[in-house]
Amino acid sequence: MYYAEDGITDEDIHPLGTGVLWKTSESPVANEFSPKNGLRHRGSESQWGATDIQPMQQSRSFQPWSDTDLQDEDEDKPVKEFCFSMQRKREIRIKQEKQGAKKNTWETWSRDYKRSFRQFQSKASESLQFLVLWRRTINTIGGNFGTGIASYFTFLRFLILMNFVTFLLIGGFIVIPNIVVQELNVVQTSQSSNTTGLCLKYSPNPQGLERYYTFIMDILMGTGFMELTYMFYGFYKNTLVILAAFYYNLPLAYLTTTLFYFLLSLVWIVVRSVKGFKQSLLTENTELSNYTSKIFVGWDFCIKDPRIIKLKQKSIRYELQMDLEEENMRRKHAERTTSQLAAIYSLRVFLNLVVICLTGAAFYCIYLSTVNSQELLINSSVKGNFILELLVGYLPSITITAANFFLPIVFGIIILWEKYTLNWEIRLTLVRCVFLRLTSLGMLLYSLWDKITCSGKPHDAKCVTCGYNIDEYKCWETRVGQEMYKLLIFDFLTVLVVILLVDFPRKMMVDHCSCKPIQFWGQQEFLVPQNVLDIVYGQTVCWIGTFFCPLLPLLNTVKYFIIFYMKRLTLFTNCRPADRTFRASSANFFFMLVLLLGLAISWVPVLYSIFAMTPSRACGPFNGQTNIWDTIPITIQTLPKTAAEFFLFIGSQAFAVPLFFLCCILMFYLIALASSYGELVKTLKDQLQMERSRKMFLRQVTY
Amino acid sequence: MGNKQTIFTDEQLDAYQDCTFFTRKEILRLHGIFYELAPSIVPMDYTDDPDVKLPIQLIINMPELVENPFKERIVQSFSEDGDGNLSFNDFVDMLSVMSEMAPRELKAIYAFKIYDFNTDNFICKSDLEKTINKLTREELEEEEVNLVCEKVIEEADMDGDGKLAFADFENMISKAPDFLSTFHIRI
Repeated sequence: MYYAEDGITDEDIHPLGTGVLWKTSESPVANEFSPKNGLRHRGSESQWGATDIQPMQQSRSFQPWSDTDLQDEDEDKPVKEFCFSMQRKREIRIKQEKQGAKKNTWETWSRDYKRSFRQFQSKASESLQFLVLWRRTINTIGGNFGTGIASYFTFLRFLILMNFVTFLLIGGFIVIPNIVVQELNVVQTSQSSNTTGLCLKYSPNPQGLERYYTFIMDILMGTGFMELTYMFYGFYKNTLVILAAFYYNLPLAYLTTTLFYFLLSLVWIVVRSVKGFKQSLLTENTELSNYTSKIFVGWDFCIKDPRIIKLKQKSIRYELQMDLEEENMRRKHAERTTSQLAAIYSLRVFLNLVVICLTGAAFYCIYLSTVNSQELLINSSVKGNFILELLVGYLPSITITAANFFLPIVFGIIILWEKYTLNWEIRLTLVRCVFLRLTSLGMLLYSLWDKITCSGKPHDAKCVTCGYNIDEYKCWETRVGQEMYKLLIFDFLTVLVVILLVDFPRKMMVDHCSCKPIQFWGQQEFLVPQNVLDIVYGQTVCWIGTFFCPLLPLLNTVKYFIIFYMKRLTLFTNCRPADRTFRASSANFFFMLVLLLGLAISWVPVLYSIFAMTPSRACGPFNGQTNIWDTIPITIQTLPKTAAEFFLFIGSQAFAVPLFFLCCILMFYLIALASSYGELVKTLKDQLQMERSRKMFLRQVTY
Repeated sequence: MGNKQTIFTDEQLDAYQDCTFFTRKEILRLHGIFYELAPSIVPMDYTDDPDVKLPIQLIINMPELVENPFKERIVQSFSEDGDGNLSFNDFVDMLSVMSEMAPRELKAIYAFKIYDFNTDNFICKSDLEKTINKLTREELEEEEVNLVCEKVIEEADMDGDGKLAFADFENMISKAPDFLSTFHIRI
């Protein structure tokens, strides 16, 4: 089948060819696939020039590989990236070296240097691989269960690292100076001013009868002797250490370290998510390459286990069938009549209202449980009974966990009635679950705030003396820290209990009992989104609590460490791969987005406490000040004059407002740039389509 | 250790390091694996570049490949004669391209070859059918297979000839960021 087309030169039509044409005349994109970059075929070079009519050699014999024909752009390409047999690559390598010898000494030297640098890089990266924690474990998981589940474990490892670095920062700048100062018994100048004696009463150790279980209770609830350790905010003192020339302002260190690790976490997450975002942008066109990606990119060549391969094949079959069915459904939806549409939309509105009501009910329960828990703990009515006291103390945690367990199941049922397409179903359920998890935390904090500041009324009877509810909260920051501490412990216990008491028995039942309903229920599926939401929730709790409980990152590191091993254990023994595979690329972006959301939410209570709430008078490094933030202006004033003026200028409106406008202008510019690139992409796509129809038209014309 | 001197010369190892994505240690390990496949045929001493090829039946019994539905095609695409007989060079080449360090363009070239069952440099409908059947253990109905083939050609075919040329294939692959992590054999 030979045919002539406009603008095709002789070199592109092979006389014996099967009509493989690489080059179209004007299309800028298709030019990329010109013969120069075309498919080089192994085994054909030696037979080049032969006139046998075998399809394999002909179509690719455009490019003779002769001595003089080393293309320009290939000169600098490393040999390993060529698509030839090893023999040919060796020849090219020798040729490249010879060509290098023709050039002057500088170029030879730079070529040698580049090569040895490349070898050094590969050696360095190889040795660094050993430092990467759990590399082999995650590779095994990826090999057996796919890259989607492996990305969950990579994410967990990232969070462990981040928590550990945060702990190192806190340890180095807050805890260790405090320990040193205490041990050395250095003379400390206290910075607290005189305040009314009533506000200063704070004695966490309970007087009176000590029960035998007090120790355990104190550890589990963070009260009692725990409040007098480095664990909680209340133990740190408002001191300035001046030792000869050494000057260390402990409160300033506390505040600036907090701000620093928040910023560090933000930058780290953003840098990591940029990669995922770039990849996500590429997949935005999944509508156009859905089937192709499933067929050509869907098979994971890493998998070795025959069981997993069977499951993978089943899941691919399932996915293809689902896609075909969805096509069908979409066609049917498009044919819906107006009355049907109206019915569906009103049903959706109603169901969304139901979801909102359920969420509101959950929030109200959380509020009630927090308020009651605080009140019951203070009144001694439950103090006698160990179990009851524990239950009351953990009531907010139990309510939050219960809400986050039952409501997603309800959401999953509701979404089936809303008759969305599959993709939208998944997305909407995820959005609802994320919203529920993160705002239930917010609700807990709101109820705490409500109690501490008497609902924001500073002149209320209880709050007027000290600026906060002195009767119930002698050291409110420690109390907030305790709540976060309890949430962390309860979350950890929940994960352990679910693994031990739900996953393992389920597996045993499925293995040993062959009755129909249990076999239908099947083994546990490792659902990546739900697990990721769990650890993001835990991380948000840690971020909120770190300001009030500085050793929380250490606890979180240990917790996630143990969870890594437990989850790995349950994955290998109890789980089967999910029916719907979670794509690794969009997974990474989704994880980072939810994590950023958690970080943003965790900033709100911390920044509010720093700027707007009165610090406790009786405890903590900021007692006596009107605001925690006051440390900074006070310190700035002690700096030399020019530095002080510089900082005051930065903090003033004269600087902030122009900066804000500058940022807005930059943002608008970037938005305009991004939308113009979008337009360019669209134009190129249209051009491609036009070329395609042109070719088809010309083909018809010549027949 | 004195070991490596007897299998490859330094020059050969240098050449391998430049021509593949493996380091010296990995090349030696690969030689060990190649040797284990057929200890009676593969020589320990490669310093004089012996021309030893292993037949396809031995290669596809490797644990990394034995369960892979595309194992024959993978081995055939890297063999010089197209029948699947691999020399050590081809073997190393295969694993180098399938390793995680190979660039996307290189992997796309070989992926195209693997999916091109009749080696006519196009992925035509019959190639697609064979691919889909291998992916789903032939459990899809014929009608569904047909539909999926049509959809794939519709999505990917740029020049409208009803089959996928390499250009079309590479275009599609560039849109799939997962490709690098799935088209990967860990050895």
